[in-house]
Amino acid sequence: MSVLLQQAPYLKRQDELFLNEINLLTEQHLAGCKAYGRICKDWRPAHRIEEVPFVHVGVFKRIELKTVNEDIVFKRSAHSSSTSGTSSRIALDQKSSNLQSESAAKILGDFLGVEKRPLLVLDSVKSLRRRGEMSARVAAAMSLQPLASDIVFLLQDAENPKSMKWDVLRDVLLKNEHFILYGFSWILWLAWGVAEFPQDIKELLRDKEISFVHSGGWKKLEAIKVQHDDFNKAVLRAVGNTSKVVDFYGLVEQMGIIYPMCEYGARHVPVWADIIIRDVYTLKPLIEETGQIQLLNVLAYGAPYHSVLTEDVGRLIPGECPCGRKGRRFDLLGRVPRAEIRGCANV
Amino acid sequence: MSDSLQYFRHMDHTIALMLPFDFQRLIADWGKLRRAMVRSVPDAFTRDEWAYMLMFLDQDNLMRPFQQTFGQPVNQPEAPLKLLVKPRGEIALWLPNNVSLLGPLMLILISLTGNTLRMKGGTRSENLTGTFRDYVLTALDDCTLKRYLQDQTMIDCFDREDQRNRDMAKTAKVRLAFSSDEAAHAIESMPHPTGSLGIYFTDKRSEAWIEYDALSDEAVDNLIKVFSIFGQAGCTSPRRVVLIGGDNEQATALKLHLLKRWPKAALRVPPHTASENIMARQWAVALGWDAELAANNGAVIAVGNRNLPDFSSHMSLPIVWADLESAVSELAPNIQTIGHHLKDANDPNWLNAIGASNVKRFVPIGNMHHFGPVWDGYGFWRQLFEEIEVMI
Repeated sequence: MSVLLQQAPYLKRQDELFLNEINLLTEQHLAGCKAYGRICKDWRPAHRIEEVPFVHVGVFKRIELKTVNEDIVFKRSAHSSSTSGTSSRIALDQKSSNLQSESAAKILGDFLGVEKRPLLVLDSVKSLRRRGEMSARVAAAMSLQPLASDIVFLLQDAENPKSMKWDVLRDVLLKNEHFILYGFSWILWLAWGVAEFPQDIKELLRDKEISFVHSGGWKKLEAIKVQHDDFNKAVLRAVGNTSKVVDFYGLVEQMGIIYPMCEYGARHVPVWADIIIRDVYTLKPLIEETGQIQLLNVLAYGAPYHSVLTEDVGRLIPGECPCGRKGRRFDLLGRVPRAEIRGCANV
Repeated sequence: MSDSLQYFRHMDHTIALMLPFDFQRLIADWGKLRRAMVRSVPDAFTRDEWAYMLMFLDQDNLMRPFQQTFGQPVNQPEAPLKLLVKPRGEIALWLPNNVSLLGPLMLILISLTGNTLRMKGGTRSENLTGTFRDYVLTALDDCTLKRYLQDQTMIDCFDREDQRNRDMAKTAKVRLAFSSDEAAHAIESMPHPTGSLGIYFTDKRSEAWIEYDALSDEAVDNLIKVFSIFGQAGCTSPRRVVLIGGDNEQATALKLHLLKRWPKAALRVPPHTASENIMARQWAVALGWDAELAANNGAVIAVGNRNLPDFSSHMSLPIVWADLESAVSELAPNIQTIGHHLKDANDPNWLNAIGASNVKRFVPIGNMHHFGPVWDGYGFWRQLFEEIEVMI
């Protein structure tokens, strides 16, 4: 159990404690996962956070890494959505899941408030019922469960943003004033941002306070040239003016650790997590420059995804944030750019 | 263009080649272009690609197909005339996506034949062939080559469902395609003139064979240079290195030698390739390979037993070891090139081994990417001519 997780997420960092916890976690993974042991063959306990070994997220798309010991009970695996066609598979265990739920609740509670209210999910309830597997989309939605008095799935068909169950939405709007609504960014845009609401739904929405929470999939929006401001305006157009939009960054390889954007455009790192920006060519840690994002956390027990090198690019933001949250913060700048590979003849 | 007869002495007879131009003038025009090419590199081409084009356009290199196919050029028949050779007429060429220099090189080689050439480029990648053709037309004043390119060549990019595919096949005397097996089959199935030829270059792979005791710094540098141009993406690129008669210790020594000589500055890969290499190294190690990253995460060099599970990424190079018999028996069915660095490549054992396999090219490692008029077992360039028996 992490001592750090017992604190509020955005207090002053305790880096020594974090290092200690992550070293212990690394040791456990080395003992319980042969493949990880091979990857980190020459491991010694880290004296600085930069020395903590990482697993590149792409490895989770190719082999299943699992840490086996008597404390770990596996329940299912989570898989990422992917534009490349190959998904990461993360073995989820009960212990980590509990910690991750608590982490997500604390982080989101800091941004959304802790009072429970109905959670509206732009997905289908059938997505929840798939045995043994959970998509990143559903996992992200379920991370909001601790803030939910009730969970309502609004789409008939998870893949069809136009399949809104208006009657279900109507019913829940009639009974409540405050909501959280979660959707994948692209789905939120299509199912809500550019959707035509029935007139009576429009009337109902007018004074409701909805905290729209979204994540993932900005690539498709970039492709159709939708900017963040346009997105927020469209999503908020029909609802009460105390509503807000929270965009969070998270990945299935860092389950339970999410990085909502604060009102000053920064993403904050909770005390039970950490971030390093690395030069992709030398892996040197970067303080001010843009580089590849490595994310760490002390909650991952079932597989060595406690320290991962992502395929995302970002930079640390120095100084204190005007939003008041302490600790490290960063800018997320997108994916590592891909260049065309040239072959010859028969490629 | 008017026809021009050129004679070649071939052993005890003469071959007459009838082209719509003086071929030596055409070669000279390519030479003029070379002088212009030295001055600047169009944005679409990398410096390495442009350098290769320059080398390809060397006069001796352009003469070579004529010499190897027909013999030495002579002013008048010096021996009995036995063959009159002329262009078949119309060539249809299908180029795949993302093929770097293949299109421009084919344009050059086919220009030497005087055939009319209709090319189809891919829709999912840059049209280097069209860019090169435009460059040539801009760079040259009126000359034989320019007139040939303007009047007898065209290139279009369209997808496989387009009617123009069938139009090309319908009239061409030769259908030439670099493609997947599936695409080749589709082209061959299109209505085409009776008696026309179909020559298809489909999915192929290559590897490097090395005898450890023959290694030198130069050989290692050659291997790095050849591999780093295309990585795993090239049909002529070494997908792996096989140490013939070697062992784990030698494979490890070769790995370290490669890593030591991997250039730090010159071979900077794009960021996502460097990231992919970081991933691939970990993947390989997780599977049991002894893998390390080259300078600036430019590649993954991995040593392992041939029975280990495969891993792959664009710039990963596995090194394995095998005796010759195993190396031959384990060749992929679609093997194309063996790039060799051996103590004595003249030893008949090598030719016997190659002859017993599907290998299409057995060349020094440094020549693996060298494209020419004989390819994948076909003397395709010669096939672009019709040969008429003559007795005078």
